[in-house]
Amino acid sequence: MNPVLPRDAVEFGETARMAFESVGGIQAARRAEADPTSRAEVSGLLTSLGIDDLDPRAEADTAAAAAVLCEEAGRVALSYPVAGAVLRTGGLPTALVPPHHLRVDHGDLFEAWHVCRPDGRASTARATGPALGTRLGPFVCDLDADDDLRPVDHADPADAELRNWWLTLSGWTILGALDRAVELATAHTRDRVQFGKPLTEFQTVRFQLADAAIAVAGLRELALFALWRLDVAPDRARPDVLALRSHALDVARFVLRATQQLHGASGLCDEVDISILVRHLQPALRLPAGAEDTAIELVAAIAADGFDGLFPHGRVA
Amino acid sequence: MDFDLGEEAAALRARLRTLIEAEIPGDFLGAFTDDPADLETTQRFCALLAREGLLTVAWPAEYGGAGGSVWDQTVVREEMWAHHEPRGPQYMGLNWVGPAIMAFGTDEQKRRHLPPIAEGSVIWCQGFSEPDAGSDLAALATRATPDGDGWRIRGQKIWTSYAGMARWCVLAGRVGPGERHEGITMFLVPMDAPGITVVPIDSMLGPHHLNEVFLDDVPVGPDAVLGEVGGGWAVIRRALAHERVGIARYARCERLLSLLADELRDAGTQLPEHLGVQWARALTQVRVARLLAYRAVLAQEAGGPPDAAASAARIAVTRCDQLVAELLFQVLGDRSLEAGPGAALAGAIEDHWRYAQAATVASGTLEVQQMIVAKDLLGRPG
Repeated sequence: MNPVLPRDAVEFGETARMAFESVGGIQAARRAEADPTSRAEVSGLLTSLGIDDLDPRAEADTAAAAAVLCEEAGRVALSYPVAGAVLRTGGLPTALVPPHHLRVDHGDLFEAWHVCRPDGRASTARATGPALGTRLGPFVCDLDADDDLRPVDHADPADAELRNWWLTLSGWTILGALDRAVELATAHTRDRVQFGKPLTEFQTVRFQLADAAIAVAGLRELALFALWRLDVAPDRARPDVLALRSHALDVARFVLRATQQLHGASGLCDEVDISILVRHLQPALRLPAGAEDTAIELVAAIAADGFDGLFPHGRVA
Repeated sequence: MDFDLGEEAAALRARLRTLIEAEIPGDFLGAFTDDPADLETTQRFCALLAREGLLTVAWPAEYGGAGGSVWDQTVVREEMWAHHEPRGPQYMGLNWVGPAIMAFGTDEQKRRHLPPIAEGSVIWCQGFSEPDAGSDLAALATRATPDGDGWRIRGQKIWTSYAGMARWCVLAGRVGPGERHEGITMFLVPMDAPGITVVPIDSMLGPHHLNEVFLDDVPVGPDAVLGEVGGGWAVIRRALAHERVGIARYARCERLLSLLADELRDAGTQLPEHLGVQWARALTQVRVARLLAYRAVLAQEAGGPPDAAASAARIAVTRCDQLVAELLFQVLGDRSLEAGPGAALAGAIEDHWRYAQAATVASGTLEVQQMIVAKDLLGRPG
């Protein structure tokens, strides 16, 4: 029993954090929204961090490094699809897409994508036009498939592995964002004085901070656990991966709401970091599926493969 | 990175399940029932565990233990709680009273108290809470006054589990003029000492569980003090941290979910989609609670301050207890109101629901745990 990341991965995460802060941290996300071409700067930064050598399918240490890179990306709402970019098929980045729509965050950053749908169908696809440019999906693009999607009964097992890794890494990205959200709310409520004292002097504020921090701590455990399961039992890890994804979406709903609320009106303003974090995380929470559809998918996965993991009591009715 | 508890722990789990299967009746729901046979079952089982060397798995060998790892201890806690704690009231003595005596006791106290705990032949209770000192334990008012070379203790304790069954009590009293944490002193008090009156409190937890303990100038000797006079708060902190990690509620949640799943499957019952979704989420929450509990065990093993990790785990574990209790009731519908051998899972679900309501109060309320976690969060550099 040693549920901790390898030291190399932790140190790599610290390096990535410094690199992202060196280009402004969350400020870089604001820049990208104003000028999407500035994402090239992020791309160069990731190349210098060695993103091209971080395929998590290679070995456990690489997987841990990819996970912490995604976590650090989440902390600054990095304007780049890190999870998809480390998962290459035939040189193409991977994206999981909704059942009826080839819709990908930062879909315009690559000439072509390897896209997988929840039912296992996959294809190569390319962006058809500019990003949505909306407040909740500034970089979300629609794609067209080069060919008809490969039918389900010809699904490539490698795509199942890709889907598991994509879901896990996107879970780490969400984890990073939520961890940062709690930090931001803690800092704000410590500094903000109302009724003659810092907000953190109010018990109700402390309770909300505590609950948000515990929720994130629990999500971190599940993220570590999924990473470990993909290493030791990749063929039986689908329920573990979907549990991470499902829980990440549930926790995000609560933590983002609580931490933005604790910022008061300022939390809605784009000059305040929590607003950028909440807006830019939305595609990760909606694509390829939201919390309820993911939970239904988890039910099916547990029914098929069980949920014992380490613990021989988990079953579903 | 590794989440595997190891082969020894897995073997220990299998051995415990075999013993429980052989020795504990299928409808056993713990020691606090109207049937005296249930208490006898726990006493018999404790004696068996002691003979098998399984009662004090994680105690050091010098105190009669097997010197097992914290993960062995964790497996024992999980399997016992999953099966409605067939050690009965013993778990408190084993989990924290014994270890506290090892850490703070004199050689004589160790000689006197540790062997009976290790044999499972003595029941301890914990005299902490008072009518005006619940969450705010440092407000306790029970007073110990010097009397010759010993003490006389006067005051009242409340919510004292096992008090009617216990032979000994670890009791927190106040000595001298100090306020709050100063002056609090721990005493090891025999429950048959003159001046002690136990009054059971009727509650939703069932008979005999909660009690008031009245202390009317109870005489104790100088050898009753555990640790330093005035140094009781350190003992309490250690005890509560142990207790917060100590109850593996998630293990019972998993087992009940599993057993009911089997029963529904055998009956050909298909849950509606909304309950299936809740079920999957509950399994996930149970896993999260378990992993946070493991994180608290790791923090304790590393020797760091266990407060925040233990409190975070306890919040997750107790909330998960209530979430699962409510889900199981939703699945049972009107059958949830039945109790006893004819009820679903021989009454285990009804019993679990009632106990789960107390989970966020016992051993420090949810709100106290939240304050500890928030204090830790705000103490970090911002």
